[in-house]
Amino acid sequence: MQSEIASAPESSPARTAMACIAALVFPGLGHVVLGRWGRGLLLAFSITAMAILGFWMKGNLFTPSGDDKLTYVFTVLNMGLGLPYFACLAAGFGFDGNAAAQTFEYGKTFLAVAGALNALAAMDAFDIAIGRKQ
Amino acid sequence: MTHFISLVIFAALVGIVFAVLSSEHNETSDRVIYGLKVFGSFVGIGFGIAWVLYFLPR
Repeated sequence: MQSEIASAPESSPARTAMACIAALVFPGLGHVVLGRWGRGLLLAFSITAMAILGFWMKGNLFTPSGDDKLTYVFTVLNMGLGLPYFACLAAGFGFDGNAAAQTFEYGKTFLAVAGALNALAAMDAFDIAIGRKQ
Repeated sequence: MTHFISLVIFAALVGIVFAVLSSEHNETSDRVIYGLKVFGSFVGIGFGIAWVLYFLPR
C-alpha cells in the first residue's frame, strides 16, 4: 500500500467528485479511481459478496413504508449501496424477500450492512481524495 | 447455512472492510492484524452472547 500512496496524484475538486461518484456507482471503484487498486478490489469483493449473500439468504432491500419507522432506517442503509440499489429499484429486483425462510433475517442484515459499509468506503474515498488520509 | 457459518462469513467480510478503511493503521501488516482482531471480536462476542442465551429460560 505504500507504493500506492507514493504514486497518488495531487488532490483536485474534479478528482474528489469523480472518486465520490465512482464509489457510489460500484463498491470500491472510488478507491480504484484514486489509484488504490488493492484497497478498491478488497472493498469490491467484500461488499459485493455481502450483498450477494444477502440476496441468496432470501433477504430483501427496503423502501419507506407508511408508519413503520424501521423501514426508513433500513432504506437509508440500503441506499448506501448507491447505484446498485437504484438499479434494483428500477428493475423491481430484490424487494420481495421470503420472510418465511430461516435465513431471511440474516439476509436483510447482510444487505443493510453492505450498504452501510459502502457508505463508509465512499467517505473514505473522499478523505483520501482531499488529502486528509493516505 | 448454519448460524455459525453465517456469523463467520459476516465477521470475515466486515473485518476485511474495517481493516481496509482503518485510518489508524498505515502498514499492511498492521491492517491485517487489525482485521483479524475485528474478526475474532465478532466471533468471540457472538459465542459469548450465544452461551448467555443458552442458559436463559425459553
